Amino acid sequence: MTEKKKKYSVISDVRYACAVGATNTVVAIKGAVPIANCSPGCQLKTTAMLTFENAFQGSVAAGGGNMPSANATENDVVFGGIKTLDELIKSTLKVYEGDLFVVLTGCVGELIGDNVPDLVSRYQRAGFPLVYANTAGFKGNNLYGHEVVVNAIIDQFVGDYDGEKKKGLINLWFETPYYNHNWRGDYQELTRILRGAGLEVNVLFGPENPGVEAWKKIPQAQFNLVVSPWVGVKNAEHLQKKYNQPFLHIPEIPVGEEATAKFIRQVVEFAGIDKEQSEAFIHKEAEIYYYYLEHFSEFFAEYWYGMPSEFVVTADAAYALAYSKFLADQIGLIPKKVIITDNTPDKFRPAISEYFRDNISEGVSIDVVFEEDGYKVEKLIEEVEFTAGKPLILGSSWELTLADKKGALFFEITTPSSETLVINRSHIGYKGALQFLERVYSASVGGK
Amino acid sequence: MGYRIAVATSDGVNVDLHFGATDSFVIYEVDGLDFEKLEIRDVPNSEDGYSHGCVSDSVFGSESGCDSGCGDRNGCHGGEKSHTVELLSDCRCVVSTKVGRSIVRQFERRAITTFEIMMPINEVLPKIVGYYYRIDNKKISISPRRAFR
Repeated sequence: MTEKKKKYSVISDVRYACAVGATNTVVAIKGAVPIANCSPGCQLKTTAMLTFENAFQGSVAAGGGNMPSANATENDVVFGGIKTLDELIKSTLKVYEGDLFVVLTGCVGELIGDNVPDLVSRYQRAGFPLVYANTAGFKGNNLYGHEVVVNAIIDQFVGDYDGEKKKGLINLWFETPYYNHNWRGDYQELTRILRGAGLEVNVLFGPENPGVEAWKKIPQAQFNLVVSPWVGVKNAEHLQKKYNQPFLHIPEIPVGEEATAKFIRQVVEFAGIDKEQSEAFIHKEAEIYYYYLEHFSEFFAEYWYGMPSEFVVTADAAYALAYSKFLADQIGLIPKKVIITDNTPDKFRPAISEYFRDNISEGVSIDVVFEEDGYKVEKLIEEVEFTAGKPLILGSSWELTLADKKGALFFEITTPSSETLVINRSHIGYKGALQFLERVYSASVGGK
Repeated sequence: MGYRIAVATSDGVNVDLHFGATDSFVIYEVDGLDFEKLEIRDVPNSEDGYSHGCVSDSVFGSESGCDSGCGDRNGCHGGEKSHTVELLSDCRCVVSTKVGRSIVRQFERRAITTFEIMMPINEVLPKIVGYYYRIDNKKISISPRRAFR
């Protein structure tokens, strides 16, 4: 009997913000200022979800509580919000010294049909670096919004280019800023790895982003590197059409020596640059990595109590894949359930499921579940029968009580994370993998 | 089901007065998408210059530590109780060019909306009436010809 798929309109315990949360994508670019054209609660909620209750990352001058917002009210719904937005843009241009301003229209503006493109194009003609993006929350989550904002900046700010491409220069399209609480550290680690391998990396977000000039440099790059199961693929496809720029899509964020070395070789092969430097880098990094791992192995072999042997991961597609693979392939833990909670577009789901089945580890395959409703996620984890050792659950704050009930080791790896504070931390690449291990096994020895 | 709309106007044609600057409000009676002028209501105490009707009240008077006067005085929550709010308490919304924060809050407590707009009345009313019609009848779109005659 086939069960008819019911369509639910309400979900509980979400693990993402709405599309207008992509204001934080703008904040992640140095010198860029978001202008939120939505109602007052929108920015409060999305910013709280992405920068506050998400390991308390905080924000920069133009972000967080300082973000310009139209605060659209009933008045704007009835009579149109263009005048309010116009006033807001004028005051923002007066108050903020920005190199790029992005107007993000939320549900209110989109529903009442304000002609934002017309208004913004007037500023564009007058020479202001202003861009608009339609990021209504009913269209998707902050990952969707991120892709929309990136494409908007490419189309309206970067513009046309038909010059030469520079060999060895790559644009890095990685995680959605502020979404995973380690994103800043992860960006730095991945950039360090790629630079170490001899590539010139154009960093578009985060601490190593030099500003909007990096965005102007996008068309000059040899190719686009997308490191994520699906976020950013839309942008890379767009760039391929627009600038005839090829892209390399690597779904798996590398964690640990083996995965990172494979990752570097794959990128270097695609770039067609000299392999000498990258091989030397891999060798050097591996030596350091295993120096530390050797010390760790003593603990791993001798410690008998409360070690995890089975794990459950609930996270967005990118980190669910990265962490599950590392735990299963490198540490030898048994995956019991992996739940992807980021509302992955249907188009990517079969490929991601297949990747989980075939590429995790020798003799290990995972049947991944796509589920964004917190209630059902909880039910799914509750059903899992852990058989040996202490279970390990990696998820969001929503899983806290459940982990307690299951007597599991637990720490937060995804939005929201209200019991973690992150300033600069990474769980990927060479250095990050060791930090990840520290966290897993600190939990085993009774720490947090 | 009908409701009423109060409009601050100096000439009966345009919404052109600040909430506190008007001596009287024109009240419109609305039924579905049809509306007609019902009456003109004078604001109490308009002769003493405080046309918005701020009269000391024992609860909100000087004992509370707030200076008298309406509008958004810094540091005071709410200002004084307005008689105009009382006067318009049977309306669903009040339309003027500008309203002070404290008055907005007093209206909000009575679930009355305040609109701030400068526009001819015959353009404002169809928009508001159309908006409420959609809310009341749960219609996403209505024929523009019906709403904006």
